[in-house]
Amino acid sequence: MEGLAPFLQNLSGGLLIGGIYALIGVGLSLIFGVMRVINFAHGEFVMLGMYLAIVLFVQLGLDPYVSLLIAAPAGFLVGMVVQRLVIARLVDIPGDSTLLVTLGLGLVISNVLFLVFGAEPKSIYLPYATRTVMLGGIRLPVAQLIAGGVTLVLITGLWLLLTRTELGRAVRATAQNRLGAELVGIDTPRIHALVFGVGMALAMAAGVILAPLLFAIPTAGASYTLKAFVVTVLGGLGSVPGAIGGGLLLGVVEFMGASYLSSGYRDAYGLFAFLLVLLLRPEGLFGRTVKRV
Amino acid sequence: MRRLLVPFLVALMASGAATALAQESVKVGVITSLTGRFAEFGEQHQAGIQAALEDVNAAGGVNGVPLEVVYEDDTSEVNAALTAAETLVNQNLPLVMGAYSSSITNPLAQYFTRQQRPFLVFTSGDDAITRPGSDWVFRLNQPSYAYADVLFGVFDALNEQHGDGYLRTIVTIHGNGAFEVSVADAVDEIAAQRGYTVLQRQDYDQSGADFRPILNRFKSLNPDVVFMVSYAADSVALMRQIAEVGLDAKVFAGGAAGFALPNFIEGSGPAADYVYTATMWTKDVPYPGAQELDDRLQAILGRTPSYHAAQAYAAIITAADVLSRAASFSPADVREALLATDMPDTVYGPISFSDYAGYRNQASLPAVAEQVVNGEFVTVYVNGEVVNEMLDTPAWTER
Amino acid sequence: MTQGPDAPRGAAPAARPPRPSLLASPWPRLALVAAAFAAWYFVFPSALSLGITLMLLAGWATAWDLLGGWTGQASLGHAAFVGLGAYTVGVTAANFDLAPWWAALLAMAAAALLALLWGRLTFGLRGAYFVLSTIAIAEILRLVAINERRLTGGAVGLFIFDLQEPFGLDLFSRHVEFWFSLGYLLLVLVVVALVTRGRLGYQMRAVREDEASAQAAGINPVAVKSWAFVLSAALTALGGCLYGVFLSALQPQPLFELHLSVRIALVAIIGGRGTLFGPLVGAALITLAAELFRTTFAQANLLIYGLLIVLVVLFMPRGIMGELERRVVRRRYAKSARG
Repeated sequence: MEGLAPFLQNLSGGLLIGGIYALIGVGLSLIFGVMRVINFAHGEFVMLGMYLAIVLFVQLGLDPYVSLLIAAPAGFLVGMVVQRLVIARLVDIPGDSTLLVTLGLGLVISNVLFLVFGAEPKSIYLPYATRTVMLGGIRLPVAQLIAGGVTLVLITGLWLLLTRTELGRAVRATAQNRLGAELVGIDTPRIHALVFGVGMALAMAAGVILAPLLFAIPTAGASYTLKAFVVTVLGGLGSVPGAIGGGLLLGVVEFMGASYLSSGYRDAYGLFAFLLVLLLRPEGLFGRTVKRV
Repeated sequence: MRRLLVPFLVALMASGAATALAQESVKVGVITSLTGRFAEFGEQHQAGIQAALEDVNAAGGVNGVPLEVVYEDDTSEVNAALTAAETLVNQNLPLVMGAYSSSITNPLAQYFTRQQRPFLVFTSGDDAITRPGSDWVFRLNQPSYAYADVLFGVFDALNEQHGDGYLRTIVTIHGNGAFEVSVADAVDEIAAQRGYTVLQRQDYDQSGADFRPILNRFKSLNPDVVFMVSYAADSVALMRQIAEVGLDAKVFAGGAAGFALPNFIEGSGPAADYVYTATMWTKDVPYPGAQELDDRLQAILGRTPSYHAAQAYAAIITAADVLSRAASFSPADVREALLATDMPDTVYGPISFSDYAGYRNQASLPAVAEQVVNGEFVTVYVNGEVVNEMLDTPAWTER
Repeated sequence: MTQGPDAPRGAAPAARPPRPSLLASPWPRLALVAAAFAAWYFVFPSALSLGITLMLLAGWATAWDLLGGWTGQASLGHAAFVGLGAYTVGVTAANFDLAPWWAALLAMAAAALLALLWGRLTFGLRGAYFVLSTIAIAEILRLVAINERRLTGGAVGLFIFDLQEPFGLDLFSRHVEFWFSLGYLLLVLVVVALVTRGRLGYQMRAVREDEASAQAAGINPVAVKSWAFVLSAALTALGGCLYGVFLSALQPQPLFELHLSVRIALVAIIGGRGTLFGPLVGAALITLAAELFRTTFAQANLLIYGLLIVLVVLFMPRGIMGELERRVVRRRYAKSARG
């Protein structure tokens, strides 16, 4: 494949899919940044969002982009509950117990989905979402454009929340120094629950906008978790802007790799980049140079 | 722990004791995926088996003794399948059949070969199961080669209609599971034999993938045929994305698995139209009783049956036929009876096992090609003959 | 030395904490394990496959525990070593007609080398970073196994048809495999028992508890972790060789899957990390429960798995054997305190 147009086509494709990766990764990164918890059930929450969108579409005929308004608050609530009931008990225990408990949680979610919906892949068919728009010789799929737009809105919202509100200041303070935050009177357990809720809301929102694009399979959560890890490590664990950069980068690397090199290794390109960054620059590509973890 | 363990141990011992009881029925074993990833196909199998048992036992069973099936669930995992196989072998059943996924059936076939017990495969398509095969492994369904072969039959027929050179170049995209790779290999092989050129062959990992980069690449190659081999979710995603990317070709061919299932059309919407798919059995095949069987399976399942149900049906009637001819139920005698199988008129086509083209104990049945027309599967090509009109594929901009 | 008759009774009785019996001598318990599985062979002659899968999983989990439990470096990539072992036997038997025992040695050496490089790359990383890197490396190896067809047979896989027979034993017989698996499990247990009771074992625990202090005490943490990883990898690969023969049809999907890595780790965690018999107990519990659910409850087996892990982490953070040991230690301690 030669020429500039195909290149731009691939670039735009990579950026659009990367936007969704970013949305998934941001939640994971935020949770890690504030709570020091790696959420291994993150991808399962994405699947939960996908299935919610499908159920609402099939049962109530609700457009998936409308069901975002249900999925995001639902994700927030479920996240808060999970944090309060399970993770809060473990936050102060050193070691990898939170990692293991979220791994178990992921297994529970994916298997409940499996029991309810079966192994058969499910999806939503939206006629208008399969259309494409031509823009200067580049074909842009409508569903991906909408996904990109929603991602932009959600991430901007998150950014405003973190930087422009009192709550955001409290969140950032907790992330920087939990003890210090407590000393100045911040209710850090509440912040933790809130942050986990926000992370899950983002994950479920990502699932909803993926529903018209890809197929929902109960067991696919693990691969989204892995992608989210790659995204956050590329951008620097705990950094929200980093996760956005990491997501876009992963999308482009995968798309270009599959297009110009061998498609069989598509997932490996992201992982190679992940390992390289981990080894050479563990603070992430976009992170400030801090002490080695 | 103890509360779980005691009934478990009792069950283990009971399974040994049960075989000692007098035989008031002839039992055959079926290993399939009742739970797990492949449970959908396990259900299809069960429906076919239910229908077959009704027919077999209404016709007097195995020499007057009713036939019964002992199910073992492989939970869609290979370890469980091997444990299940051992349970069945230890029950001294005359014949065991299975399983759905080739990655499970391959180790099973190896195990039964080592145990020197007859094993009848009725759904798994991977060529390697009977090529090279063994003395003890028999397969009645078509191997993966047949999936590619029937579609090349369609291509040849189209070339005949439109003049030579109408279809010449092919691009292949396939999943990286054993079955899909095996079909894609067959595409390479047959293309070389019959003068087609495979311009490019691309595989992808796991389902839920984004195929756009590969499709963009294909677009610049301008192929006559886009040959796709993938499972359910991927087949729908592929056609939707092909429409979206605007990849045009004279023929879109789906080498089995996902493309032949009813939910391919449901999921793809109008993008599914004009796609050719290979399938192993339809209600329109020219074998006696096909339409009736399809209706019965539909009634049992409560939804459209897939060809897997018919394969399971065929497996049971074959088992009944073999066991009623076998001199005894010893493995050697059952194997002899399997080798001598000659059932020219089954609803699944003529069944007999022979060695050909590197295969061993393989039934040689042709596959069937369908084309999607206005959201319906239409059988277009059976046994080397065009049976319905094959429609030209319009460009995406003209749909 | 036990308390002599002339030791002052009641005075400072807790000055020397009693040695926990479960750590004290593993050998009687090892003999018990051997006897229990030998009994399995005769009591359940029709469930040998189940016994083999159980013992292999237990062996892998015990080997995993060297790194994951005793040294505190949880890995979610151990399936790579299982796959490496299985494929080494398969590839060498098919291409060079190499005897399986040489293949096993080769597999262990290859696994050790891989672990050494892998460790060099990743031991600079801590906690979550290390876990993530193990997943990434194992995933890359899986993709290599799928894509490099000339070596591995690709997705279609590799078949093991013939193997040279050690002492005229047919390695494909489930009976022979059962005893080999038992031998493997006992070997892993003995190695882990010896290692953890020796100098390296103390260093491993020191690194696990506090890397900085261990370093201050003159321990080289990277070297200790590397040793643990190398041993763990080689032992896992040996079990992988047996598993390869057991399956005799190798495909990348079930062998290199993340799923298998997760299972190995979780079995050890449920049973109890950093305990000799914990991984075995975990494997037995999970395997027997799964088999029970397969024939009765069917659908729910993985769900139960997930629930079990959540519950164990929440309420028995040391795992089953870990909690048990702690209780025994406490009781003895209380006893000796009372005099």
